[in-house]
Amino acid sequence: MTTSDSPDLSAEALPLYIPVILGTVRQGRMSQRAAQLLTAELARRPHVETELIDIARLPLPTNDAGEAIKDPEFSARISRSDALVIVSPEYNHGYSGMLKHVLDSCLKEYIHKAVGVAGVSAGVFGGARGIQDLLPVLRELGLVTIFWDVNFANVNQLFSPDGTLSDERMLPRIDQFLKELIWMAKTLRHGRQHITLQ
Amino acid sequence: MKCPNCGHPMNHHADKLLLYDDPNLDAASPLLESYSCPHCGANDARLVQPD
Repeated sequence: MTTSDSPDLSAEALPLYIPVILGTVRQGRMSQRAAQLLTAELARRPHVETELIDIARLPLPTNDAGEAIKDPEFSARISRSDALVIVSPEYNHGYSGMLKHVLDSCLKEYIHKAVGVAGVSAGVFGGARGIQDLLPVLRELGLVTIFWDVNFANVNQLFSPDGTLSDERMLPRIDQFLKELIWMAKTLRHGRQHITLQ
Repeated sequence: MKCPNCGHPMNHHADKLLLYDDPNLDAASPLLESYSCPHCGANDARLVQPD
């Protein structure tokens, strides 16, 4: 029996879980600072749980691919998630091959979850070309993309050596990105749980 | 489908067509049915053959 003093255990009362995927394994990667910043900004939001998932730490083999190499812990985190932030550096005008390798290891875990992409690059475009290439992949995986991106352009100048953001003009953009992502995460959670496919 | 976590009936919210990439298979490609639990938030899926 439920009373007014009982905790609300319904699924809609649970905090949103929105992990940040650091989408590169390259040594010296500047994307790590961007991922840490986004994780910290998400953690400040009420009713949101987050963590940084570093794909360099996932034990995925490279002599096979797809769901055959699914990592149980990564799968459980994605299955639990309501949305994802993907930090995607641009390498040679594309996204990281290892990011695709990791994303391809799951499928059912993504369906009707929100995703936002943060591009990172040493140049002025902030990973925009890599983001454009990644969007159809995310759609095919069943994820729902938002219409805000974050672009960490000129990333070598954007963070100080200790990893702190040196240009605070990025923060309002990140705020808009996260607001849109959280709205979409709430909306899709409601849809997954209460709106039946007809 | 019952929730594997709490036993509550789950909501069927998506079907995804999975295309076989093996040219030797002539069976119809299956659908991945996706479910979510309105009680505890768990997600699950099952493969079904289309009619």
